[in-house]
Amino acid sequence: MKFFSMLILLIIPVLCIAQPTQHSELKFNCSLCHSCESPTKTNPCLKACPRAEIITVHHSAEEAPGYIILDKFKNVEDNYAPVNFSHKAHAEMSVMAGGCEMCHHYNPPGRVVACSECHSQSRIRDDLRTPDLKGALHRQCIDCHRLWSSDVACADCHHENITNINKADPVDRYHPQIEEPERLVYDTDEMEGYVTFYHSDHTNIFGQECNDCHKQESCVSCHIEEQMLGNINLSQEEKHDACSGCHDTDGDCESCHKEQITPGFYHAVSTGFNLSKYHSKVECGGCHTTPKVFKGLSGSCAACHKNWSLENFEHSITGLSLDENHSENDCEDCHVENDYKNPTCDNCHDEEIFYPDFLPGIMK
Amino acid sequence: MELLHEALPLKKKYFTPGVVVLLILAIVGMAFLLARFVFGLGAITNLDNQHPWGIWIGIDVAAGVALAAGGFTTAALGHIMHRDKYETIIRPALLTAMLGYTFVALSVAVDLGRWYSIWHPLIFWNGNSALFEVGICVMTYVTVLYIEFLPIVTKKFIGNVRLKGFLAKLNKPLDSLLRTLDRGLNKTMFVFIIAGVVLSCLHQSSLGTLMVIAGSKMHPLWQTPVLPLLFLLSAISVGFPMVIMESTLASRSFGLKPETEVLSSLGTIVGPLLGIYLAFKIGDMFIRETFYYLTEVTTASVMFSVEIIFGVVLPLRLFLTKSVLKSPQGLFIASLLVIFGVLLNRINNFLVAYNPPYATSSYFPSVGEIAVTVGFICLEILLYRWFVNYFPIVSVPSKPANNVKYSVTGA
Amino acid sequence: MATQNRRDFLKTVSSIGIVTAGVAATPTKLKADPENILSNERNGVLVDTTVCIGCRRCEWACKKSHDMQPGSIDDYDDKSIFDIKRRPDHTTHTVINAYKGNSISKPIMLKAQCMHCDKPACVSACIVGAFSKKENGSVVWDESKCIGCRYCMVACPFQIPAFDYHKAIEPDIHKCDFCAERKGNGKLPACVEICPVEALTFGNRADLVTLAKDRIKKNPKRYVDHIYGETEVGGTSWMYLSSVDFATLDFPVLSADTAPGVSESIQHGIFAYFIPPIALYALLGGIMYISKQKSNKEEE
Repeated sequence: MKFFSMLILLIIPVLCIAQPTQHSELKFNCSLCHSCESPTKTNPCLKACPRAEIITVHHSAEEAPGYIILDKFKNVEDNYAPVNFSHKAHAEMSVMAGGCEMCHHYNPPGRVVACSECHSQSRIRDDLRTPDLKGALHRQCIDCHRLWSSDVACADCHHENITNINKADPVDRYHPQIEEPERLVYDTDEMEGYVTFYHSDHTNIFGQECNDCHKQESCVSCHIEEQMLGNINLSQEEKHDACSGCHDTDGDCESCHKEQITPGFYHAVSTGFNLSKYHSKVECGGCHTTPKVFKGLSGSCAACHKNWSLENFEHSITGLSLDENHSENDCEDCHVENDYKNPTCDNCHDEEIFYPDFLPGIMK
Repeated sequence: MELLHEALPLKKKYFTPGVVVLLILAIVGMAFLLARFVFGLGAITNLDNQHPWGIWIGIDVAAGVALAAGGFTTAALGHIMHRDKYETIIRPALLTAMLGYTFVALSVAVDLGRWYSIWHPLIFWNGNSALFEVGICVMTYVTVLYIEFLPIVTKKFIGNVRLKGFLAKLNKPLDSLLRTLDRGLNKTMFVFIIAGVVLSCLHQSSLGTLMVIAGSKMHPLWQTPVLPLLFLLSAISVGFPMVIMESTLASRSFGLKPETEVLSSLGTIVGPLLGIYLAFKIGDMFIRETFYYLTEVTTASVMFSVEIIFGVVLPLRLFLTKSVLKSPQGLFIASLLVIFGVLLNRINNFLVAYNPPYATSSYFPSVGEIAVTVGFICLEILLYRWFVNYFPIVSVPSKPANNVKYSVTGA
Repeated sequence: MATQNRRDFLKTVSSIGIVTAGVAATPTKLKADPENILSNERNGVLVDTTVCIGCRRCEWACKKSHDMQPGSIDDYDDKSIFDIKRRPDHTTHTVINAYKGNSISKPIMLKAQCMHCDKPACVSACIVGAFSKKENGSVVWDESKCIGCRYCMVACPFQIPAFDYHKAIEPDIHKCDFCAERKGNGKLPACVEICPVEALTFGNRADLVTLAKDRIKKNPKRYVDHIYGETEVGGTSWMYLSSVDFATLDFPVLSADTAPGVSESIQHGIFAYFIPPIALYALLGGIMYISKQKSNKEEE
């Protein structure tokens, strides 16, 4: 397991659950969004959006348009040029930062609603609860761009010569590939020891997706300004959040906090149970059924495979197909007291015939 | 009535070394004033957007008005209560008040950004404004003071109008005009005297109302809804001490016999007045429980304590002591303490207590501001000296006279 | 010495009384107070300090719309200006200051300008009534009346009015006028119009209070539960939302009592239809009359 993959954000699968296409099929009560009994397309009588509950757009970043030119104000007296927004690049980057909903909040299922459909282009308006278009767009961009660098100036987005940007192939605007770390060591002051986190094992072996842990990342978690370094004051709870989905971070401290930096986790070495080709494909939780507890399973097959019997067990999946002489034997004849690791031939044969020099069939 | 005091021009030598010093200080002040009018207020003052008012308002105006209170308190005592024995001090007190208020008006004008619009309050009214009330009252009161002073002028000139050259023709009509004026004033003077007292009570108290609107910007030791009452009471208490102080200084300066008897009996009134003032001041402090602020040493607590102890409690004790009342020095020192107390109170109210938000520095007057204030005070003393030399104001002991024709009493 | 008889005295007193009463009656009929309208339709602005990015475009727009030499808009990107705290003055009617927030890279940006109080201290204080509160919420200063006494600066609880200390002739009082003129032409205030993130929300003041309460309710972690200006000094047209306690942003801690309240009560108490002064006048006249009679008797 000495190779570390380069993860490309592009290939991270985005949720592709089938969505209702008619929004009247939604499980929500109509009155959640509509204030009148029978809303029509022309008069939808919409309430202020209930952010937490509403369903939002679910497309993949691959389907997203590459560039969107934001020039709604080109006809108004304006001090700045329109913005060429690299939409696709941002859509891909958003996977670890809240997804499409980051911007397409309150989007009913079906088509993607344009910003200006909800956000008024005029600042003088009746419903002040929703920011106007200029405010909404700036807030979306500036929230991250300011965090990233406080030197961001207007002209950084409002280029005078946007036509020079290659609209067809916006590859130059993509985020470069992110190199995945092999191992992270956290020096934990409170516990006087270390937590050794094998990052690539979690993605490669334990089957974690990036956004299983990285749900609300912001650019600054990597593009960190020097002045911010001293400012990461996560609470103990926040630090544990990333692990507590799978690990018991409340009671069992010692399983992660060790006195020394620990080697990576190999099931055969650490537990004595070698995950054969069958078990290596099973998710952790498939065997470790008690949430967050990964201990206490015996190596015995019957501990998990309770319904295996002579009739339904195909011995050849272990790699050994029994020959005719042995296929009718009881399990107990060779595997005394359910010891499947050290089969014995003593029950039928004398001492001259013994496992593994003599096999009761053919190894595949 | 063997020995009557008749007010006469003193006709002493005007220039003395002291006068020359005062003159120099006055000229320095006026030079700074010139700079203010040419380059603006910012050029010579330490005022800024956080500290819009400095000593020109705190001392020249607020304290100036309070210390000119001798005019209305003596008028109330001599004319309204009709205590004839105080007759001799009324004219000097009236002159002080007249000069004092004139300089108050001048100081206001100097401090106004648009000094040439000083007449605006006459046509643009704001009945809610304490400052409007003060402005109108002071304007009216200055006029009343001038009217009260007129008989002294007419007395000087009736039968003495001697213009020269082609103006000589005007001598006779002018003389008869003066006589008519004098007769008319003699009959109606009491109207102005009462008006003077009423106006004084109004604006002395409204000066206190001025700072109430500053609200929490003013230190709680001073900020109280009864500020107008405290201002009025302190003004009334400082009136007689001012008269005592001036009279003592004037008699010393001109080598006259001090009027200890009159001043002593004036002094007996000061005690109770100061007592009432102190009672209200302490009572207010306890009702609003601001004594808490005195438990820690800050500029505010020190200034407040000094004001109360040396400006009110100590002189109160002195004015209640018989031996002090009988000694000219004792009276003088006790009066000085009261004056110091009221002066400090006005400075405290307008400058020390005022802690504006967003101030980057605290206010301290500039050289220019101090020079102008000192210059105005010097000018005032010089004018006083000139007036008493030229007009019949100070009473000097003389033989019984039966032809006292005109007096300000209206009685 | 007494040359006046009793009848003369009474005659003069009564005639003076009538004149005084007449004078006293007129101001109540004349408009003695400046315009001070508290309309339900008055505008306001809700400043969301959690949204403001400190771009200072409002400063530029304000100067531009008030002919105050705005200079180049790009000069306003200079961040070093946040090293010191500035206040509105004769060169600018609004400023943005940076305050240390919970995050170092994101300071709290705070716009300062006139709050346009519902019960303005300046309107109450001004000796000549040069300030007025308009129906649309603006508190404006009238150059033609001002005498430059700076009492408005003493009275203002937010220390907003600024003075031309450097000018010898026609020094002005400077303060935000809530773009009274632009609003009259159906436009937004210049700062509100230019704000790129709509940190400044313009609207009916009552609607803005509802909006602010709604925002706090929906984002309890983002805001402290306090709308500065909702009740301070009786309410202000400009209101603020913040993620931190307002006292840490140098906002003065003020009660709901209106700034001119106590002062005006005293003022109106002393001058209740001129009754107290007239009563005092009559009282003193009476004392004077009696004491004169007494002294005349003694002399006889």
